Amino acid sequence: MNASDSDEDIYNERSALVRSESPALPSYIPDSDLTPPNGTPTKRLKAGISRRPGPAAADGGGSDPEVEAEEEELTLKYGAKHVIMLFIPVTLCMVVVVATIKSVSFYTEKTDQQLIYTPFTENTSSVGRRLLNSVLNTIIMISVIVVMTIFLVVLYKYRCYKFIHGWLILSSLMLLFWFSFMYLGEVFKTYNLAMDYPTVGVIIWNFGAVGMICIHWKGPLQLQQAYLILISALMALVFIKYLPEWSAWVILGAISVYDLVAVLSPKGPLRMLVETAQERNEPIFPALIYSCECVHCSRSAPINNGSAACLMFVIVSSDPSVSPVSHLCLSQGLCLTLLLLAIFKKALPALPISITFGLVFYFSTDFLVQPFMDNLAAHQFYI
Amino acid sequence: MNLERLPNEEKLSLCRKYYLGGFAFLPFLWLVNVVWFFREAFLKPAYTEQLQIKAYVKRSALGLLLWVAVLTTWITIYQHFRAEWGEVGDYLSFTIPLGIP
Repeated sequence: MNASDSDEDIYNERSALVRSESPALPSYIPDSDLTPPNGTPTKRLKAGISRRPGPAAADGGGSDPEVEAEEEELTLKYGAKHVIMLFIPVTLCMVVVVATIKSVSFYTEKTDQQLIYTPFTENTSSVGRRLLNSVLNTIIMISVIVVMTIFLVVLYKYRCYKFIHGWLILSSLMLLFWFSFMYLGEVFKTYNLAMDYPTVGVIIWNFGAVGMICIHWKGPLQLQQAYLILISALMALVFIKYLPEWSAWVILGAISVYDLVAVLSPKGPLRMLVETAQERNEPIFPALIYSCECVHCSRSAPINNGSAACLMFVIVSSDPSVSPVSHLCLSQGLCLTLLLLAIFKKALPALPISITFGLVFYFSTDFLVQPFMDNLAAHQFYI
Repeated sequence: MNLERLPNEEKLSLCRKYYLGGFAFLPFLWLVNVVWFFREAFLKPAYTEQLQIKAYVKRSALGLLLWVAVLTTWITIYQHFRAEWGEVGDYLSFTIPLGIP
């Protein structure tokens, strides 16, 4: 889709502020001291922030070792609960995408159209050339992402809230209306159904308008989460269609590295963004943060996670032959990351572990298991 | 957004806004209103604003039913008569199935 810049803008600004459905930004898991004193779950920090509850007890007291130990235990238990709570949207997202890919052929039909951010084609004859092109594509994509992120941080620092707000609204408009319109059309074509414009108009208008209301204003939590999952899935599908394969893999790898850098290094844009938000003690924008509210926990504070992570996981698992494997290792990665969060109690990038696992297993499956299975099949040996 | 943590006046205001919003051809908004405020309106012990919330929920439900009826009728008519309508049918169609109707 040699589409408009708003494509990239959508997920860029999203990812930057909102970390919604873009490879652009990593999930950002910040400190325990981000928990507001009264633990209000509605304080929505920036995108991609997985917030742990860690109120005064964790920061202050701690002189009594027993109390500390108990705190640790509670924290770990709480963390475990959140693994499950974060697991569900990622899984649901994957389910939606895989279901779509299996049924609607549109999203796997390779086309010569590419995003303008990956101008180099992969239709070349030699392997070396193809590799070079994918690396070049990655460089372009990542630099666009970095530039956008920095731009956004600058905007936030200089309090250009209106600009950011407008940008966010525009991009969510595009996602909720245009992409879902395309998706609906393809689904109808796949199942060979007739559909008229008035009905489609009503459906898309309702879907989009209620989505905008839930996301940018006030709405039931579950509906907001559902919308988040759906638009992550939509975004993933667009990427699956228009990102050439090798570029996609290299971009995934590069994104996890960027994630590490942007979150952990002191001058990283994401870190700066969160620190600025902390200083100002304000909730940022109605961002597409996936917020799991742990109502049953004694310390109820929400844990937020950006859906860029969702998106990346979904892209990795989009190859149907290794879907179950990818899903497994991505979930393991997620668990590990959350465990590390409980241990280190500081901001952590959520992508690297999962993506590394995913990539390693994907490629090793490709190189090791496939030929093995082929051989077995060739010898009519069933296991 | 958790309804539990809102004061009653804000709940009423939210319910009302959802109700009014539904008039912009948004039956889905009315559905959300009904589902979200059902418990508040009918299952919670009474409080001052509850009567009005109840009224809004009932009216949203009514509007929703009306929309469902209209849409169902239209869709049935369209699906049944599309092929017979010839050009007009095609003009109205977003997707046209392949094969013989």
